[in-house]
Amino acid sequence: MPDEKTVQSGEQYVVQMKAITKVYPNGVAANQGVDFNLRKGEIHALMGENGAGKSTLMKMLFGLEQPTSGEIIVNGEKLNLTSPSVAISKGIGMVHQHFMLVPSLSVAENMVLGMVPRKGLFIDQAKAIEITREYAEKYNLHVEPEAKVMDIPVGMKQKVEILKALVRGAKILILDEPTAVLTTQETTELFKELLHLKEQGYTIVFISHKLNEIMQITDRLTIMRNGRSMGVYNTRDVTKEEISRLMVGRDVVLTVQKEQAQPTDTVLRVRDVEYVNEWNKKMLDKVSFDVRKGEILGIAGVEGNGQKELVDMLFGFNTPNAGSITVNGESVIGLSQQKLRQLGVSLVPEDRMIYGIASSASIEENVISDRCSDKRFNKGPLFNMKAIHAESDRLIEDYTVLCKSRKQQVGMLSGGNIQKVVVAREFSNDPVLILADQPTRGIDVGATEFIRKKLVELSRSGIAVLLISADLNEVMELSDSLIVMHNGHIAAYFEDTSALSDDVMGEYMLGLKQQPEEEVRRVCHD
Amino acid sequence: MTKKREIIFSLVRGLVAICIALLVAMLLIFISAEGATFAAKLKATGEALRQLLLGPLFRMGKNGTVFEFKRLTDILASMIPIIFTGLAVCIMFSANQFNLGAEGGIMLGAFTTAMIAIYVPMAAFIHPLVAVIGGGVAVAVMMLLPALLKTKLNVSEMVCSLMLNYIIMYLIKFLMNTYLADKSKGQIQSYEFLETSKIAPLIDNGSKLSWGFIVAIAVVVLCGLFVYRTRWGYAIRMIGINQDFSRYSGMKVASVIVLSQVLGGFLAGIGGGIEMLGRYKTFSWSSLPGYGWTGITIAILAGNNPCFVPLAAFFMAYLTKGCELMATYANVPSQLIDIIQGVIFLFFAAEQFLSGYRQKLVVKSAQEELARKQAEQAQEGGALHA
Amino acid sequence: MLNFLKMLLTPEFFFSIIRISAPILFATLAAIVVEKAGFCNIGLEGLMMFSALSGSLISYYAGSWVWGLLAAVVVGVLMSLMMGFFAFQLKTDITLVGIAVNMMGSGGTLFLCKVITNLTEGNAMASTTGLITKSLCIPDITIPLVNKIPFLGGVLSGHNLLTYFAFICCLLTSILLYKTSLGLNIRAVGENPNAASSVGVSVLKIKYIAIGFSGLMCGFGGAFMSMAYAQGWSLDMVSGRGFIALAAQAMGNGECLGGMLSSLVFGFAQALGIKFSAIGLDSNLASPIPYAVTIIGLVIFALVRRSREKKRHSSAGLEKAAAAAK
Repeated sequence: MPDEKTVQSGEQYVVQMKAITKVYPNGVAANQGVDFNLRKGEIHALMGENGAGKSTLMKMLFGLEQPTSGEIIVNGEKLNLTSPSVAISKGIGMVHQHFMLVPSLSVAENMVLGMVPRKGLFIDQAKAIEITREYAEKYNLHVEPEAKVMDIPVGMKQKVEILKALVRGAKILILDEPTAVLTTQETTELFKELLHLKEQGYTIVFISHKLNEIMQITDRLTIMRNGRSMGVYNTRDVTKEEISRLMVGRDVVLTVQKEQAQPTDTVLRVRDVEYVNEWNKKMLDKVSFDVRKGEILGIAGVEGNGQKELVDMLFGFNTPNAGSITVNGESVIGLSQQKLRQLGVSLVPEDRMIYGIASSASIEENVISDRCSDKRFNKGPLFNMKAIHAESDRLIEDYTVLCKSRKQQVGMLSGGNIQKVVVAREFSNDPVLILADQPTRGIDVGATEFIRKKLVELSRSGIAVLLISADLNEVMELSDSLIVMHNGHIAAYFEDTSALSDDVMGEYMLGLKQQPEEEVRRVCHD
Repeated sequence: MTKKREIIFSLVRGLVAICIALLVAMLLIFISAEGATFAAKLKATGEALRQLLLGPLFRMGKNGTVFEFKRLTDILASMIPIIFTGLAVCIMFSANQFNLGAEGGIMLGAFTTAMIAIYVPMAAFIHPLVAVIGGGVAVAVMMLLPALLKTKLNVSEMVCSLMLNYIIMYLIKFLMNTYLADKSKGQIQSYEFLETSKIAPLIDNGSKLSWGFIVAIAVVVLCGLFVYRTRWGYAIRMIGINQDFSRYSGMKVASVIVLSQVLGGFLAGIGGGIEMLGRYKTFSWSSLPGYGWTGITIAILAGNNPCFVPLAAFFMAYLTKGCELMATYANVPSQLIDIIQGVIFLFFAAEQFLSGYRQKLVVKSAQEELARKQAEQAQEGGALHA
Repeated sequence: MLNFLKMLLTPEFFFSIIRISAPILFATLAAIVVEKAGFCNIGLEGLMMFSALSGSLISYYAGSWVWGLLAAVVVGVLMSLMMGFFAFQLKTDITLVGIAVNMMGSGGTLFLCKVITNLTEGNAMASTTGLITKSLCIPDITIPLVNKIPFLGGVLSGHNLLTYFAFICCLLTSILLYKTSLGLNIRAVGENPNAASSVGVSVLKIKYIAIGFSGLMCGFGGAFMSMAYAQGWSLDMVSGRGFIALAAQAMGNGECLGGMLSSLVFGFAQALGIKFSAIGLDSNLASPIPYAVTIIGLVIFALVRRSREKKRHSSAGLEKAAAAAK
């Protein structure tokens, strides 16, 4: 229940955002009359589904966006936050979901970027390193000042981000889904550090949609839905179920019903694939597995442990240094995407805005991109427009893409509908193997459910599905069997996912444990 | 935003861009106008502007301003080469290939066509056809260089094509000076084209409006169909929007990139050829003609849509003619066209230009949409209660 | 052949390489800094044209090359900032802005030249070569002692003030990029603009500074063209140097030293062309040499880069990684 009483109890707010409305140039109203307050020294959760407007609201507090209307008061002072530098000068710091680091610069250089210590005209490198050390020690956040950012692990990058905010004098820290890329253990460590900061009087905004984390660490929470605030609550006064209802407006059961898999022939066979990246770092180390008709094989693992490189190998964007990859017995190494698609391989790409769509083209133009040369859609040299219209209308209907018409620009749709367009294309051209790379990342519950159901449905109809997902829930729920990747290597293989616990998974994902080679090899069904 | 508002916005924006360019032009004309006093200068400016804006179509004499058909045909005639370069640039830019070789291309096309027209005798009807296509093929082959270097080695097609422009110009000059010039003439020019090769005039009024114009319009239609109604045109556009997406979708990205530049080269080449055979008797170009650059402006004005190229070409031909007239009658150097062109270009391509106005329209649309939805919901609610 | 080689191995020839490289080097530095900031300015050609014209005109009116040089630089910077306004504020595609500036730099400068000379001199001139005398040009400098060294003295001494300055600028630019906070900001903005803006570095400001820097360099380059390389401005006198600089930037791998070496290669190509025409080669065959060399240079650079990548991407790469892991 809204705790109006405590809210009114005269405590000083460090931040008050009043009646914030934001309309983007493309007409999307991301925030409508949102109120948001922060008390000094609290950890405050900002919750909501993707697209609920949390990030937009915080971007306005950090000066990255300006509200269309409404006011922002920080420490009693009404502010016009026109840029991040204004926000920083008022003691607001933000740790973004995608790290805001410059890969080729060192940790120390990243730390002092924008406030470089100088010796005369030049950068004082020694001083930069000293500052970094000093802050790292003070806040118990261990980093290596002289290492280049591109060489350090994800967890450390996040620490650099937090230190960056602190070194700039931030008293209010906004963390945008900080645990999305961390392992369970790293998350635990982060929470310790956050509580440590809280004790020292820092105020923290914690954006997330992971209920367990919220319950564990936050004092109060604000829930957003469809760009509006659904109220402010004391964390101890609400239950997970209540929060869930407020967030999504209905009780969503995300458990997908699926029958026992009946896998048959092997479709995708990967053997001893190795890959060394451009900085001579080994990204894939003797990776071997099979995916069979009628099953979903999941690949779990913290991001950056070789999954991206593996997908690149499987879909012809890169070639391995050693090893073999076959689809239905045919080697696919070095094949073009065109050839791969002819073999029946389709990919739901991790980054839909880069690979999935041409955002300024229409829905129609996006759904026919893989089949535009088909006889069905051509009459001599010209397109058969009738057939193309029919195909796109059919896909829009089958995949419940919410749009005005097939002529609408794809980029104007919501994330979930964009992903439905991608999926509609990838699932509908009679694939024999579907590579689903983070298929539901960052999209709404409805679309997520739809896509997961479709994946199960397709696998049961005899298609081989390889599911790569950093979402533990997803990969454990959908996969018939799964492998865990750590550091470019397969750390574990679980034939049956139903009895798995998060804790066990976490240990393998973090590399605390490694199954013996014979056990892992069972994923190869020779 | 509704379709209607979108169109209104584009129209307003285009007009404002053109007006700004004309204002800049006016200012420059005023500065360069002759006259001792402010009033005299103002008068001279007015006269010059009249030449610029009305001169291309109207004769201004004692009998007042009279429309002259001959002037219209002159403008239509001067549209021919720039329609072709405009189309060439449209297709190359659609694939996001900033190949600026249309300039050298039109010169090479003209040269090749001229050589076939002079040295390879053929039957009357076939001769111009073969000559022009020969010109097109020559440029298409030339464009293979930047295109292949781009796709195979990722060498910037822009730098490469620009360098090619210079190389081609010098080589043609070399060939003309050393081997091909008609030494009996005072200036460097080739021998006369064979009679069989000439492209017949469309209207016999002394203007250079040849059948080439009809061909140009036909090619516009073909290009429109190509870009919007064929799988290759589709691939070109998708690659232009998002190359990664196109590759991932299984398109032959490299081939299509080569295709777009080769086709662009072919169009520029036949443009040069048709211009040669329709307008001249001999080949006498000693420097790049500038049609390639105008083609870029036209492509920008047309938004890379071939269907709008004739309109944009008419506009540019009109302005160019106006500037020439100003130079003759009002002593304003004709190169003013380059500045006008540059300014239009800058504002036309400016995404954020008048974005405030656009944002207002968007917000209005969003509010209307919201209101409509609420009304619908209210109705539904009412229906439920009933 | 031997004779020809003898002709080449003279101090004069090496002197001319350096002289010819100077304006390309200025433009290359412009391209390098802009590229580090994450974009490409293809309007260098046009910027140099405007600077060349204004430099020579002001030098004539003020009666001193100092004012001319100053004017060239100011015009270069102002024009480049205007480009920045269109590209960054009005979101015109930066490539198109560059094309527009090049268009204006070609015919537009001739227009301005005619108008301005008509207003002041009473007759419209198509170039300013008639106005500029030797004394209005930027002076040459003889370096004491160095000029006494045999051969080397002839190569290194007696260059134009701006030629020396070009090579000094190369060093300064390198220091700017790697030793100062501005350079750090420029590199950060180029690599990850979001990271830079999130710590309060104004991306817009840095981009303006970078493009302004390119204008500054083009100002020097343009001034060199009309007040040192030639006496006075004439139509299309920059003749592709702005574009060659883009190639030099790429070939130099985006670094100052590499850019300087590439500029020297182009200087060599052009000097060679001049020598060729001196021994009777048609100038229409000699003139395109630098342009051809540009294309060839880009191809060689791309081939080298590719073989390097291939090497890494082989079993040798695996072994290296294994060694590194140990």
